Amino acid sequence: DEVLHIVPETFQQVQHLQLLCSTFMLDLWKPLLPEDIRAGEDLHIRVPAPLVQEVKDSLDQHMISYRVLIPDVQKLVDQSMPRERSSHRQVSGGYVYTEYHPMEEIYQWMTQIQKNSELVTQHTLGKTFEGRTMYYLQISQPSNKTKKIIWMDCGIHAREWISPAFCQWFVKEILQNYNTDPKISRFLQNLDLYVLPVLNIDGYIYSWEKDRLWRKSRSPYENGTCYGTDLNRNFNSSWGSVGVSFNCSSDVFCGSGPESEPETKAVAQFIKSKKSDILCYLTIHSYGQLILTPYGSTTKPPSNNEELMQVAKEAAAALTGKYGTSYRVGSTASILYSNSGSSRDWAHTIGIPLSYTFELRDTGTHGFVLPPDQIQPTCEETM
Amino acid sequence: RAMELPPGHFPAARAAAAALGYLRYLRGGPGRGLRLRELRRARRQDIDDVGHKYYLELELEDVLDKDSTVSCTAEVLYHLGSKSSAPDVQVTVQGELRSTEQADQEFYNWIRSLEKELVAENIPDSHGNVPPELEPIHLLAWVASGYVIWQNSTENTKLHLAQVKHVKQVKRSDEDLQFDFVVLLHEMVSQEVLPWQVTLLWHPQHGARVSQSRAAGAGS
Repeated sequence: DEVLHIVPETFQQVQHLQLLCSTFMLDLWKPLLPEDIRAGEDLHIRVPAPLVQEVKDSLDQHMISYRVLIPDVQKLVDQSMPRERSSHRQVSGGYVYTEYHPMEEIYQWMTQIQKNSELVTQHTLGKTFEGRTMYYLQISQPSNKTKKIIWMDCGIHAREWISPAFCQWFVKEILQNYNTDPKISRFLQNLDLYVLPVLNIDGYIYSWEKDRLWRKSRSPYENGTCYGTDLNRNFNSSWGSVGVSFNCSSDVFCGSGPESEPETKAVAQFIKSKKSDILCYLTIHSYGQLILTPYGSTTKPPSNNEELMQVAKEAAAALTGKYGTSYRVGSTASILYSNSGSSRDWAHTIGIPLSYTFELRDTGTHGFVLPPDQIQPTCEETM
Repeated sequence: RAMELPPGHFPAARAAAAALGYLRYLRGGPGRGLRLRELRRARRQDIDDVGHKYYLELELEDVLDKDSTVSCTAEVLYHLGSKSSAPDVQVTVQGELRSTEQADQEFYNWIRSLEKELVAENIPDSHGNVPPELEPIHLLAWVASGYVIWQNSTENTKLHLAQVKHVKQVKRSDEDLQFDFVVLLHEMVSQEVLPWQVTLLWHPQHGARVSQSRAAGAGS
């Protein structure tokens, strides 16, 4: 089908066009009614494919000039239909894991998940600057022995939406499969998982409501003329030494001092209190497709570098094995840039041996605005 | 005299981002968007009184033709001491890129047939979606931002297009199409998001050129 654009020049042309419309029962897009066709005014008509030639011949015969506005109506219709996402949709207990969710929904999700599972309990970590409660989920198989802990936090940087999406996916996967997947059930016999789905809640909400590319927290500085600390420069690991700014308007503003931000303090306090039991600290970011090891503030390798690298390389290989996505492994200082005050470096310096930053998909093509059809493959390969 | 560099480390990666910007400007269009699949090899040569020259072997992919890859070599020369001059980039693409003649002509005809000038915002949107009919505009934004990225790259920056904030078509009396973009560039080292205004002229036979570009006023 084609849509033609015609500007009738004379009353005779108008009459002929009106006749054409009624004879062929053509679909008038503009104006809506044949009686509103006027000389000198735009006319848009959709002509069904089998009639196109005949209509055009008739227009030519009557010296009525026309232009093809839409050469293929069906193609346009197909393109504007939302793609069938049934193959990508992952819904579990009514929650769609292949979409990005605002904070309200994530809070609700945490409450539901805890209700529906005997393995999950929700705990308070602290409050954000704007007074919102920070919750983490503890996934723990009841047992009489104390278990070692793996900690994972997501969403320290507001704009990295794939990160909280991964934390939610991770929890869902574990709960769905711990009965049937021997690897997971063995895991849970010996380890507890602590997951913080959104660390920088204020920033995350801000990226939904005001500025999609916001990174920092939302604490005010300089008399409220400037907002936000980069929480991943605010930890007490060589704080303020390199790769930071002391200017609040910078995206790598490290705050007024180490742990100056309530979010940082809440996390640090908790991890410190459990540190003798924490085996592994994971912090999830995007983008870059990297598994980063300490440190950012120096190229001098950490004491257990060999072990760190070996585990990271095996993880990267397993990840690549799923969909061929290539991840690079190495220290932040060599792979990315110099930085100080990162949560990963801090965790390692207080004694947590395996401490990693994951930078999820992609490598810059979409960057922070990763389309939702990549949520599933990203999460599956990272899992 | 040229030192081998680990391709996974940042010095080579930053040079590759500059080369990619240049490549997108040179070879991109509404029917072709190039992405870097892999940086295979990198070497660096420090040239006295001139600057640092990077030799790169890249593997590229046309996002509209994902199954085939194209190899490319690039030379990126960062001039010594000069903060305000763009790196010199030379590229050699091995083999043929898929022809976009038909898609280009269709796009050209479509835009020319529009009664009202095209205007759009937030490409992709917050969730990462691009309406299919705007994909060619999205790819032209890659061309425009490619120019800005190339022109503004240094050894201490790694620039990527984060989002197209705004695009407005401007009708012209000549044969070219004109699009005024506001693009948001993400700079990896400072983590800043930098808004740039870029005017891109494009024609199916003449290709693309940036007629003007400047850093836009403070934030979004």
